Amino acid sequence: MRDEARSYSPAANLPPPLRRATAPSSAPVVAAVSAPELWLHIALPQLPLELATRGMAERRACALVEGTGRKQRVVLVNSQAASLGVRVGMPLGAARVLGEFTGLARDPQAEARALAGLAAWACQFTPRVSLVEPDGLLLEIKGSLGLFGGTAGLLQTLRRGLRALGYRGYAAIAPTPWAATALARAQRQAVVTTIAELPAQLGALPLDVLRLAPEQRADLERLGVRTLAECLRLPRDGLGRRFAPGFVSLLDRLLGLAPDPRTSQPLPATFETRLDLPWEIHHAPALGIAMERLLHELAGFLAAQCGAARRLDWTLVHADRTLTRCEVELTAPGRAAAHFALLSREKLSRTKLHAPVRELVLEVREILRDAPPPAADLFDPRPRVSTENWPEFIDRLRARLGSHVLHSLSLVPDHRPERAWRWREPASADKSSSPRSAPSPREAGAARPLWLTRAPLPLAERDGRPELGGPLQLSRDCERIESGWWDGSAVARDYFVATSARGARLWVFRELSGHRGWYLHGIFE
Amino acid sequence: MNLEELLRGAQVRRAGEMPPAGELASGFAALDALLPGGGWPLPALTEVLCDDEGIGALRLLLPALAALSRRGQWLIWISPPHIPYAPALVAAGVDLARLLIVEADAAEGRRDGEERLWAFEQALRFLDCGAALAWLATVDSLRLRRLQLACEAGQSLGVMFRPSRHAAEASPASLRLKLTPAAPGTLEVDILKCRGRLRARSCTLAL
Repeated sequence: MRDEARSYSPAANLPPPLRRATAPSSAPVVAAVSAPELWLHIALPQLPLELATRGMAERRACALVEGTGRKQRVVLVNSQAASLGVRVGMPLGAARVLGEFTGLARDPQAEARALAGLAAWACQFTPRVSLVEPDGLLLEIKGSLGLFGGTAGLLQTLRRGLRALGYRGYAAIAPTPWAATALARAQRQAVVTTIAELPAQLGALPLDVLRLAPEQRADLERLGVRTLAECLRLPRDGLGRRFAPGFVSLLDRLLGLAPDPRTSQPLPATFETRLDLPWEIHHAPALGIAMERLLHELAGFLAAQCGAARRLDWTLVHADRTLTRCEVELTAPGRAAAHFALLSREKLSRTKLHAPVRELVLEVREILRDAPPPAADLFDPRPRVSTENWPEFIDRLRARLGSHVLHSLSLVPDHRPERAWRWREPASADKSSSPRSAPSPREAGAARPLWLTRAPLPLAERDGRPELGGPLQLSRDCERIESGWWDGSAVARDYFVATSARGARLWVFRELSGHRGWYLHGIFE
Repeated sequence: MNLEELLRGAQVRRAGEMPPAGELASGFAALDALLPGGGWPLPALTEVLCDDEGIGALRLLLPALAALSRRGQWLIWISPPHIPYAPALVAAGVDLARLLIVEADAAEGRRDGEERLWAFEQALRFLDCGAALAWLATVDSLRLRRLQLACEAGQSLGVMFRPSRHAAEASPASLRLKLTPAAPGTLEVDILKCRGRLRARSCTLAL
């Protein structure tokens, strides 16, 4: 997807628009043509809370609390807590009176990690993804619009993806990075495609969206400036003299009057993501939602590079800091979150938890980049959504039954009956992978039973004849198999077809050496 | 609603009227002549009741299985009692590249047979699976019904091998056969139940 996006967007490799940088800064440039770049900002205002709650099926009231001792204040609430009446800015003590909610502390490290993970996930939309710390992402999407069905299609895919990850994001599209940021932070689902529209679209936004330093903010308020429109109306020279030069350049970048290059976040080489659970989990099935969140993140990461994974490593971190590891192997490299989830759920549901789980970690150490692209049959109109293919079917059986219970058979050119075949790994659906040696005429002619006993079964003997619940009737002719002296398991036997009193046909042999015992070796079922 | 309307609606049928949806030639002329559709009912569950090993229960199915495997469909055998012997299978025309053996009784801490039943049902539901064979002892009738539905969902031939003491139990399987050894080299096939008009109750096959 990364490459496709690149090939669709010649603009993606060009430097930022220099033309606008040299434009006279006194009057806004009116650009009627669509802008060379289009930025999408994803604002995640609830990120610190969602980090804790996205792994849980049940929605509990949560609030983010900052400060220490008696100065603890609520800085963020989720909708459940808001419905209790908890508001941002309340002292924790006052909020506690309103109802039962979980107070969470901010974890800046976890937030940064989550944002970086989200950036890797977002690379499936465009290769140019940059971080806007601490709670935003900027995507340059001009080149990706064709692939995702325009801005509407892209926004829809993006929103669905964010929901699957357990985040609630606000996305806005604008021709400059700062404008997209401002619109998204104001939670406007705006799509602005030309520079000319910017002043009108941005005007009504509060100044908060720029996240100015507190003293700058206070200075502007003293001037009576509350919205961006009021700010833009002020004479530029005066603003430059009154405020730090950074402020004027910020406004220039906002309106596309100055270049605003952003550094793209490189895609990590391996995948590792984790999810903290706010409440201890005692039963593995309850990890399902958390697991799915992480797998959706993985699917986006894989889609970004057309990669595939063959092995997933899960680590459950317990409350007592011990670890339970659990690996999921796939028969064929895969990239679909649903298939990963199916296998992981099967595997995890079989894992006994010796202690409650506090954290879930997913790692993929090897990303296979030469895997075939997702099987979207161009010429096959049949919907293959619900039907699974052979490797997926095998994976599902393996996940539940264990990997050692599935076998295929193959022929081995050896005269010793027990060595004329062997188990092998279940074949892929690919026909060519099955070496098929034609049976030799001798083998085709001689009788071979459909069942081979797991080991030759000693038979009782009476008057030189074998017995199995009664005397066995032996065939007149026997087949002598004498082979294998070279590898230490020599065989010298006379094979007979024996018929029991009940009418069963058996394959028995008599050893030609040692104590010349009789054995049952097969059943003509 | 009178009886005629019900019959037209295909929710109710008279015994012996409706032939099965499809069939798969068994490869034994005498048996094909006996079975209503001219072969194994497909998609459907077939129950083979038989007590003795070595009388040819598997050989009875082998021509049909070989034909399915050559068509590129998978054969999935759940917990066979012995090792399926590859040279004999190849000699019978089975494509080994299309055969999967599941030894599903090894899992620990599970109710006996639960894993086999699960694997059998999954195999039947899998669309690329032509036939699934399972060696099962006790199955309750609810599970049997599910297996029959799984055959229909996966368009597959399901064959269960069970001891003949279960012959008296009710079963939703489309076809129930009882196998007993007859004269040397022959097999007596009794049809306990089938869908469609039955021409005779039993036949003797030379394998």
